[in-house]
Amino acid sequence: MANRTDPLAKSIHGTNPQNLVEKIVRSKIYQSTYWKEQCFGLTAETLVDKAMELDHTGGTYGGNRKPTPFLCLALKMLQIQPDKDIIVEFIKNEDYKYVRVLGAFYLRLTGTVADVYQYLEPLYNDYRKIRHKLSDGQFTLNHVDEFIDELLTKDYSCDTALPRIQKRWVLEASGTLEPRRSALEDDFEEEEEDKEEEQPMEIDEPNGHEKDNHRGRSPAWERDRDRDRDRDRKERHHRYAALYDVHSHLVFHISVTAMACKSQEPLKITDALLSLYFCRDRDYDRDWDYERDYGRGRERDRDRDRERDRNRDRDRDRHRLRDDDYNRDRDRDRERDGRERERRDRDRGRHRSHSRSRDRRDRDREDGEYRRRRGRGSASPRGRGEDGGPREEPKRKKEKKEKKVEGNAPDPNDPEIIEMNKLRASLGLKPLK
Amino acid sequence: MIEVVLNDRLGKKVRVKCNEDDTIGDLKRLVAAQTGTRAEKIRIQKWYNIYKDHITLADYEIHDGMGLELYYN
Repeated sequence: MANRTDPLAKSIHGTNPQNLVEKIVRSKIYQSTYWKEQCFGLTAETLVDKAMELDHTGGTYGGNRKPTPFLCLALKMLQIQPDKDIIVEFIKNEDYKYVRVLGAFYLRLTGTVADVYQYLEPLYNDYRKIRHKLSDGQFTLNHVDEFIDELLTKDYSCDTALPRIQKRWVLEASGTLEPRRSALEDDFEEEEEDKEEEQPMEIDEPNGHEKDNHRGRSPAWERDRDRDRDRDRKERHHRYAALYDVHSHLVFHISVTAMACKSQEPLKITDALLSLYFCRDRDYDRDWDYERDYGRGRERDRDRDRERDRNRDRDRDRHRLRDDDYNRDRDRDRERDGRERERRDRDRGRHRSHSRSRDRRDRDREDGEYRRRRGRGSASPRGRGEDGGPREEPKRKKEKKEKKVEGNAPDPNDPEIIEMNKLRASLGLKPLK
Repeated sequence: MIEVVLNDRLGKKVRVKCNEDDTIGDLKRLVAAQTGTRAEKIRIQKWYNIYKDHITLADYEIHDGMGLELYYN
């Protein structure tokens, strides 16, 4: 059978390698003409020829979910399982960008975490444009490094769920990987120095590239850099870096410390060293202030985190409530709205025989809702339920009319509606009307 | 606000509250949020009419309480 994996192939991530592509997408690929015509009996060499003819990346597109040749070739590679050196060759070649991207995609699906980072990160320097086919059939502009970034950061690409890989800082902490050196690091160092001479040091430069700046310095910072997510602390190290480098960049640092000491006149070299120590204390003080700020910032973050946790807890509780009783209630409410009020009263009476806590909660919720929605007055047991017939008839009529007039306007206090609106906001939709 | 029921006849039955002027694409995203599948993988049909993503529910005349079929791509 042409669609079976090579029996000599190893299992990837504990499963048949072809299973990395989902069942439905896989069936679509098997049924496509590209697969049947072009991918029959492909070997590693002939596959390269086909890959060189590629001119766009993409998953499935159109109403029929037709697969792109890119995806078909990726599945073919999963089927025949070429060796790792072939894949590395695919990735290393400079001429054909789609071959490169195909190799990268295959490696992301099948390779170990260390391999993935090791081979895919150099591709961040490839800025060539590639064409990407969207799911509605239109082409869009993409770049090789953007594609690689998607592969490394997201968990879904080209209609395939990518296997989970650990974050980079986890691997750096465990020592499997070196901290990342960007190819633009030297450029940024120069830029940093220029910037520093212009501006005073207190200004927080929201330069993520400061991260890159310190990589050449002491290994202690490299370690700290990755642990500290806080930019303030990086700022502090940055300033210390300036001080430590005093022997190599004396002139530069005179101007820096002069500014740090808030003195306007230029200092001589001999005095500079003295003032350096002097200013170092002051600088240290400032750093101490900074640290206090940092602490405050941390508190702020902590509070924010705590609030977030609290919100999450609240949401969780709400969900819990919802799951247990609310759905039951909702259905019950639905029935009741359809029927007459008498029946509703009867139901309530019936439920009164059940456990008291749930009943009370039900009753409270119902009472609250009913009162809000229908504008009923008292919640006392005398005012509702089990009373005589004649009072119910006019109430029933009035309610039916009210319901019709109200239609289905969402009650903004309903927790379910609030929940829904939050979800809609997170998806980018307008709230319920 | 209307509530639409989507059933895939394999055990997944979900009720979604939405506006009449939401598009099918929005509805798919809401369903994806509730069921856990991806929005791109969902296909909403009624008999053999596959509903397109860019058309609103009102244009498809989907009213409150209507049932739609849930399939996967």
